[in-house]
Amino acid sequence: MVYETSFTMLTNQYNQYVIVTDKVEQAVRESGIRNGLVTVLSRHTTTGVTTNEALECLESDIDEFLCRLVPEDHPYAHARMLKDYGSTAGNPTGHLKSLVVGNHVHFLVRDGRMERGGAQEVYFCEFDGPSERTFCVQVMGE
Amino acid sequence: MFVDVRVYPDFYEPINADPAREEMRHEVMDIHKNGTAKLEHIKNQMRLAGLDRMCLMAHDYLTEEGVTPVTNEEVRQLVDLEPDRFIGFAGVDPHDPEAPGKLEHALDDLGLAGLYLHPGRQRFYPMDECAQPLYDICQVRNKPVMFHGGMSWEPHTLAKYGRAVEFEELAETRPDLRICLGQLCWPWVEEAAMVMVKHQNVYADTGLLYFDCAREFYHRLLTEEVPATWVDRSLRHQVMFGSANPRFEQIRMAHELDRLPLRDSTIELIKGANALDFLHGRE
Repeated sequence: MVYETSFTMLTNQYNQYVIVTDKVEQAVRESGIRNGLVTVLSRHTTTGVTTNEALECLESDIDEFLCRLVPEDHPYAHARMLKDYGSTAGNPTGHLKSLVVGNHVHFLVRDGRMERGGAQEVYFCEFDGPSERTFCVQVMGE
Repeated sequence: MFVDVRVYPDFYEPINADPAREEMRHEVMDIHKNGTAKLEHIKNQMRLAGLDRMCLMAHDYLTEEGVTPVTNEEVRQLVDLEPDRFIGFAGVDPHDPEAPGKLEHALDDLGLAGLYLHPGRQRFYPMDECAQPLYDICQVRNKPVMFHGGMSWEPHTLAKYGRAVEFEELAETRPDLRICLGQLCWPWVEEAAMVMVKHQNVYADTGLLYFDCAREFYHRLLTEEVPATWVDRSLRHQVMFGSANPRFEQIRMAHELDRLPLRDSTIELIKGANALDFLHGRE
């Protein structure tokens, strides 16, 4: 059995780390699936989905690490007019941070609950905000 | 007060209830894959850019395209939703025989703050007869005229109509009419500087980003093509911040202003004081 849903939200910062664990757990409950796998997947190319501990200090370190790894002040080739969009691409850092973080996470589903460690939260990561963003949750199992 | 003097509200959600109009706007503007923007998102964008106010442009391409992408009434609708953030500019087509009446209605009844014209798209030269009655209307009412100057990414546009030198006679013959050379009439930015240095009623905005990132392009535009000394010494009361959003990146462009090698007081003029002068006239 496969259950699928999606969530849309407005982010309000350039780089932002939004905890969406509650939404994923809600989807698992609504799926009725007892045992299987849940996937959380971003629909975008300048965002990320990951899991980590929800501490302010860690969010700061992660953000600082990514900004150091992918500095704003670098001659990226992506900084140019894009004909398909009719606008200038100014978000190469968002694409590269997305590449580093990845666009999805998986968790096991056991006895109808999302199985996660005590420190694990699901983060939706914005790297080119503010924007309207959507992530999908798919639960597979029986 | 930080003002973005040229913004196109084509994809703001409140005026896009009709999918056919949204699709028309994507085609007419040649802007795609951006969807529509909720006002909450627009306010987030303004907050991150540090903006207090934005001038929203209506635009009317009736003669050339058979459509009015954003009507004066739609701009009024948006201003009513955010009266402390939005300033509305009217758009009329100079070739439309009804344009003078439409402009009077927009300024007198809808209370819009100025007129927006796009010579390259609407196919007229700034001194053409068809535009003169519109200037008369603005001049009598002390309202400014915002022009899209120079090249335009919009389809079916010809840059020759918006070359900077084409505005010289208008500035010369109507010293009491405040006009803005949108995007410094790029690529004729040195010509634009020539018109501006002589005519104090001529303003220009920074709403262009056709190459590179905001940091690289603004550096080239405002320190090399137009030397920083020209802006900082002679044009400091005439350059305004504009983003032409959603074509270009409002937030990054706004942030780059602070990195230009200009006096802090000049940056402040570019951010807001010059816009207030453009809108209302100098004291």
